[in-house]
Amino acid sequence: MTDLARADDTTPAPPAAPKLVQLHPFGLGGARTAPISLATGAALLGLWFLAAQYRLVPPLFLPSPQEVATQFLAIAEDGYAGATLWEHVAASLFRIVTAAVIAASLAIPLGLAMGLNRWAKGVLDTPIEFYWPLPPLAYLPLMIIWLGIGELSKIVLLTLAMFAPICLSAQAGVRALPIERVNAALSLGATRWQLFRAIVLPSALPEILTGLRIGIGVGWSTLVAAELIAATRGIGFMIMSASHFLATDVVFVGIGVIAVWAFAFSYGMRLLEAWLVPWKGKS
Amino acid sequence: MLQVRNASVFFPARDGRTVHALDRASLDIDAGSIVVALGASGCGKSTLLNAIAGFLPLSEGAITLDGQPVEKPGADRGVVFQKDTLLPWKTVAENVALGLKFAGLPARRRRERAEELLGLVGLEDFADATPHELSGGMRQRVGIARALATDPKILLMDEPFGALDSLTREQMQELLIDVWARTGKRIFFITHSIEEALFLGTTVVVMSPRPGRITARFDLDFVRRFAADRDVRAVLSDPRFAELHDEIRNIVHRPSHEGRRGGQREGWLQ
Ligand SMILES: Nc1ncnc2c1ncn2[C@@H]1O[C@H](COP(=O)(O)OP(=O)(O)OP(=O)(O)O)[C@@H](O)[C@H]1O
Ligand SMILES: [Mg+2]
Repeated sequence: MTDLARADDTTPAPPAAPKLVQLHPFGLGGARTAPISLATGAALLGLWFLAAQYRLVPPLFLPSPQEVATQFLAIAEDGYAGATLWEHVAASLFRIVTAAVIAASLAIPLGLAMGLNRWAKGVLDTPIEFYWPLPPLAYLPLMIIWLGIGELSKIVLLTLAMFAPICLSAQAGVRALPIERVNAALSLGATRWQLFRAIVLPSALPEILTGLRIGIGVGWSTLVAAELIAATRGIGFMIMSASHFLATDVVFVGIGVIAVWAFAFSYGMRLLEAWLVPWKGKS
Repeated sequence: MLQVRNASVFFPARDGRTVHALDRASLDIDAGSIVVALGASGCGKSTLLNAIAGFLPLSEGAITLDGQPVEKPGADRGVVFQKDTLLPWKTVAENVALGLKFAGLPARRRRERAEELLGLVGLEDFADATPHELSGGMRQRVGIARALATDPKILLMDEPFGALDSLTREQMQELLIDVWARTGKRIFFITHSIEEALFLGTTVVVMSPRPGRITARFDLDFVRRFAADRDVRAVLSDPRFAELHDEIRNIVHRPSHEGRRGGQREGWLQ
């Protein structure tokens, strides 16, 4: 007689630590890319080292990694152009963070309003669509003429550059809201404000955070332009100033510092995303 | 009592034409009844439900709930959607208590009520799970609990079990009957399945498409019998059940319907 349900000592005991599995994600999902990225970075560094070592490129154009490292230590110790490295970094960080805070606090409410309200959309669409494809360098002269050469013009320039991506993604977040979700909340008795607070805002949050991440990236890439305006501090200023003296190694130090900070911000945004919208991509 | 009187709906279609989605439908849903709307795809079932829920204004006619005209969605009509509409950022218990939060109940009372309702649908162990950790049938049960939480006067369900396998579907039907027997809620239920309609409805209305109208109406007592003795077999083997099944099938497949050919007959009957 065969008894399929019989407890049998040939039945393997369940492993102490069972293999944990998850749904196959589409695209990359949560696949770990860090090792690949690190290896790529190391390879690029190696190529740079070799190119400099064997003088494939004149040192004026491409200083060796050692020179850049030495220059970095020198600037970190003695400063550059009358300010320490940290003062340069702090000046740039202050501008970026201030501009990001202003841009986010204007762009998120306005973007949400544009997604929800005919008038907000109608009125704001034209100016935003008009200005946002412009390169910041194109309206830089206007900033100087209107706002002078102080901090204000720099921060306004950065704010303008960051505003559009945040605003557009907040709008997109509202527009992607499924109508069933709205109807479900309404039939549970939600008032307009509760609907906004409990449904619209959290539904748009993933898009808003993506916009914020893009906005801050745009901010970093606009930094050098902003610091073209009669600055005496700032990483962008340091790079521009060094370029006048063909101090390529200082330019490299500046670029490296910007890259590290921009990466740190982007990584921070990703952590924020993982914390605030852990459900992203799961619904 | 929920009354639908001569409700008609015209939708705008492309190139200026109109779709006559609902044609002078009239319907009463009394206390303690389960009214099931049955019909082929596109015959206006969802349109009727959306109008009762207040998501859709009528072109003509009127809907009243206990004498009050229905114009907007509200917590007096709980809706269970075909697609699950749970909020992924909230736990199961928070989802169930969403309507109570809107009503301003304090957190402790919300939690108690959510746990009570999750018990009713057999999910007491999943209060702190997130919706994406649940199966389709479990999510649908959470949806039912959520709709019941605000103690609505009527439950509106648009093919709530359409996406479930037949086994889960049967369990869900029995669960719904339990809930109905215990709470005495009125229910308006939409389905494609004749069997489901016969099993659940105290009244079954059959609808036909283009324009969508109610073409037949049956008053049944299978569900009351099941609620009393919980004997599925007795219901399914009742000759009356098979007779009605055939009768409804013939109405639904009446060849006068446009676009229907012999070979297509079984199309929507799974
Ligand atoms: N928003 C809309 N705009 C235009 N036509 C619509 C709209 N919604 C529904 N219709 C049309 O109205 C008719 C009835 O649609 P409805 O969704 O009520 O059908 P249904 O009976 O629920 O079908 P199913 O069983 O497939 O869900 C269909 O012909 C459909 O094409
Ligand atoms: Mg439908």
